[in-house]
Amino acid sequence: MLITRRNTLRLGAAAAGSLALPRLSLAQGNRPSITIAVQKIVNSNTLDVLREQSNVGERVFFGSIWESLIGRNLRDQLEAQPMLATEWKRIDDQTVELKLREGVRFHNGDEMTAEDVAFTFSRERMFGNTEPKNRSTIKAFETIPTPRPGKELPPEVPAVARRAWPDLARVDIIDKYTVRFINATPDVTLEGRLLRYGSDIMSRRGWEESASYLEWARKPVTTGPYKVERFTPDTELLLVSHDDYWGGLPPLQSIRFVEVPEVASRVNGLLSGEYDFACDIPPDLIGEIESNASFEVQGGTILNHRLTVFDKNHAQLVDPRVRRALTHSIDRQAIVDSLWAGRTVVPAGLQWPYYDDMFHADWTVPEFNPELAASLLKEAGYKGDPIPYRLLNNYYTNQVATAQILVEMWKAVGLNVQIESKENWAQIMERGETRAIRDWSNSAPFNDPVSSIVNQHGPNGQQQQIGEWTNAEMNELCLFLETSMDRPARRKAFRRMLEICEREDPAFTVLHQNATFTAKSKAIKWQASPAFAMDFGPGNFAV
Amino acid sequence: MIRYILTRFLRAFITIVLVVTFAFVVLRLSGDPATIILGPEAPPEAIAAFRKSWGLDQPVLVQYIQYFAAIFQGDLGMSMRDGRPALELVMERIPATLALTLPALMLKLAMGVPAGVYAALHQGTAFDRAVMVAAVMGFAVPSFVLALGLVLVFAVNLGWLPSGGRDTIWHAILPIVTLGLGGAAALARFTRSAMLEVLGQHYIRTASSKGLAWAVVVRSHALPNAAIPTVTLIGFLVGSLIAGAIVVESVFSWPGVGRLMVVAVANRDLAVVQCILLLVATTMVTSNLIVDFLYGALDPRLRHGARANA
Repeated sequence: MLITRRNTLRLGAAAAGSLALPRLSLAQGNRPSITIAVQKIVNSNTLDVLREQSNVGERVFFGSIWESLIGRNLRDQLEAQPMLATEWKRIDDQTVELKLREGVRFHNGDEMTAEDVAFTFSRERMFGNTEPKNRSTIKAFETIPTPRPGKELPPEVPAVARRAWPDLARVDIIDKYTVRFINATPDVTLEGRLLRYGSDIMSRRGWEESASYLEWARKPVTTGPYKVERFTPDTELLLVSHDDYWGGLPPLQSIRFVEVPEVASRVNGLLSGEYDFACDIPPDLIGEIESNASFEVQGGTILNHRLTVFDKNHAQLVDPRVRRALTHSIDRQAIVDSLWAGRTVVPAGLQWPYYDDMFHADWTVPEFNPELAASLLKEAGYKGDPIPYRLLNNYYTNQVATAQILVEMWKAVGLNVQIESKENWAQIMERGETRAIRDWSNSAPFNDPVSSIVNQHGPNGQQQQIGEWTNAEMNELCLFLETSMDRPARRKAFRRMLEICEREDPAFTVLHQNATFTAKSKAIKWQASPAFAMDFGPGNFAV
Repeated sequence: MIRYILTRFLRAFITIVLVVTFAFVVLRLSGDPATIILGPEAPPEAIAAFRKSWGLDQPVLVQYIQYFAAIFQGDLGMSMRDGRPALELVMERIPATLALTLPALMLKLAMGVPAGVYAALHQGTAFDRAVMVAAVMGFAVPSFVLALGLVLVFAVNLGWLPSGGRDTIWHAILPIVTLGLGGAAALARFTRSAMLEVLGQHYIRTASSKGLAWAVVVRSHALPNAAIPTVTLIGFLVGSLIAGAIVVESVFSWPGVGRLMVVAVANRDLAVVQCILLLVATTMVTSNLIVDFLYGALDPRLRHGARANA
């Protein structure tokens, strides 16, 4: 028998039947403590939501430690719901007023007030010396404080904050429990920006009592159901219950995340009872784990789509008909069925249903039509010249296998796409004659297309900034989408953007929705969310 | 002799400079840390701000000069991910790595050298053949396969030992055994070959024919002469104490220098990678220097040769 990851795990799963009951350690008060094996705890080695803009961060600590004024319903379809604010209303096109939840306690015991909210969105914590894009309309923040030594923000924090809040002028304190967010320009997405990761509230005293940014960012004082007890970068993160949590007593005494980079080690640890959850399970292992009746794999689609991205400046891709041929020659459902065991979907283009009235239910990805693809290539006069495809080694789940399938599908219609393996993103993005096709993904941090199609493919998005693609009409529509308050007109504009980016002058094509899978004992009653975030709040854990 | 020593030191210094220079150039030409650390969806302005703050927007030559100027002032740079001195990060991890590699080295020596000597003294016997089969397997089986096999048996099936982590002393057993078995196999082969070669020499036959007890012949004549290739290998094993457990640390989720190295390389955390390489190169070169000097102690002919050259 070949020694493969699959065979090793099969043997392990067969042997682990008697060990399948979870070995949860019960602390005082009979609340269990659990251990979760993850591939990566965080990338930035901090627990600051503005510095750790990653999927792994969302899973491990965003929801357990941090909370925003408006939340997402992780137990349903991520719709907006009251969180630290109980209600909110529009004052005008540029202003949202929020009533804060009373009696919310930070991890240090302080009550959350409007003062903390205003400080969270201050220059000292968020924006540094960046300015709103349209600051001439409202004078932003009267003075720019000089950071105390050691409290300087890492340079990427103000940049990320300003990307999240490009035109936020200021936050006014109306009273102890009322704040107003005032934008420099009309913005229909203000409520959406309030629920996105990065808009989470922190304790002002917690910040001021920390000796340095790093000290604070390793143990931020916030309002979430769990607080940081111990954090050893690249090794473990121990969270303990915040017993004064406003939403009720958290169901777990503690959660210990341990970093286990090898998937076989994560699964072995789960089977042997050392871990209660094993995250980042590849789809091809789901069947093996579930062959043991005591275990199950939960999870599914998340707010992230896998894309194939085009560089329209490449000699073979200048003609949009060649890019269109690339989009029409992909049998996306075959990829979902073969590589994902059918546990994800081909979405309706670069959009998500939680866009609500901005969602175009009748929109689809380009149809799989090899004849049309071949015809487009013929019209474009494509002669079979090579088209490079820069590829990373499974940065995304199933990335290499997907690429190999794509190359064969493209070959079937006459496209000569050649894979070039690269080591990192810098090599993938590097300008040059060999940049033509690459992989990417796109998330929707809040429920509006501004968060996704504008953010990544608009004039300030990375694809245009690195010179892969641009389109004058698309850029005008992006500006309109960002500033218009006319919802029907915005909906129409978004439709036109999809037509441009996915059909007429393809910037990218959507392959499938991404999915994430977590293995656990069936004896644990826990429901995965339709997001990376793991919800261990009150009511979502029992044995 | 002094010239011999000085030459060795100069060569060691040049080796270290070349290793660090090579790492510096390769790391900078193979990917921008800003894009890698901040991720593929990072806003362009965040990437630009990051590059500027870490001096990555400077020409590589300028960065190189600044780097070496800092090294000579004892500054090995700051981790871009951690915001702390790279040396501090590496030093934090060294005890964890040594907690594996030192016992593993002892295990290698305790198993490999006696097994090799005994197999050579009993050439052709069942024990000799068993040692050689085990040694070939030890060579051929990659450490991650051996590690997963041990986990499967002792953690998953028997439930005797933990499969990973560093919480208790029990967590160290499987990684140490994994490291120890592979090294012991190599040592056994080297020692057996060296012993067989020495045992075939005329001076061994002469010593034996003079009436010396076989144990004395082996201890006083065979072992010292067979030790040179074994010492060479031991020198290499000692040199790899700091970075010799990269794969095993990853499989067992052991938070040592090896894992730090993997994470730092993947993230292009330049100062950390360079700091580790500097330490590894220094350890390896120092170990080789000591081995060079030990040659002289073990074999007077080499000592005399050095004196003749001096």
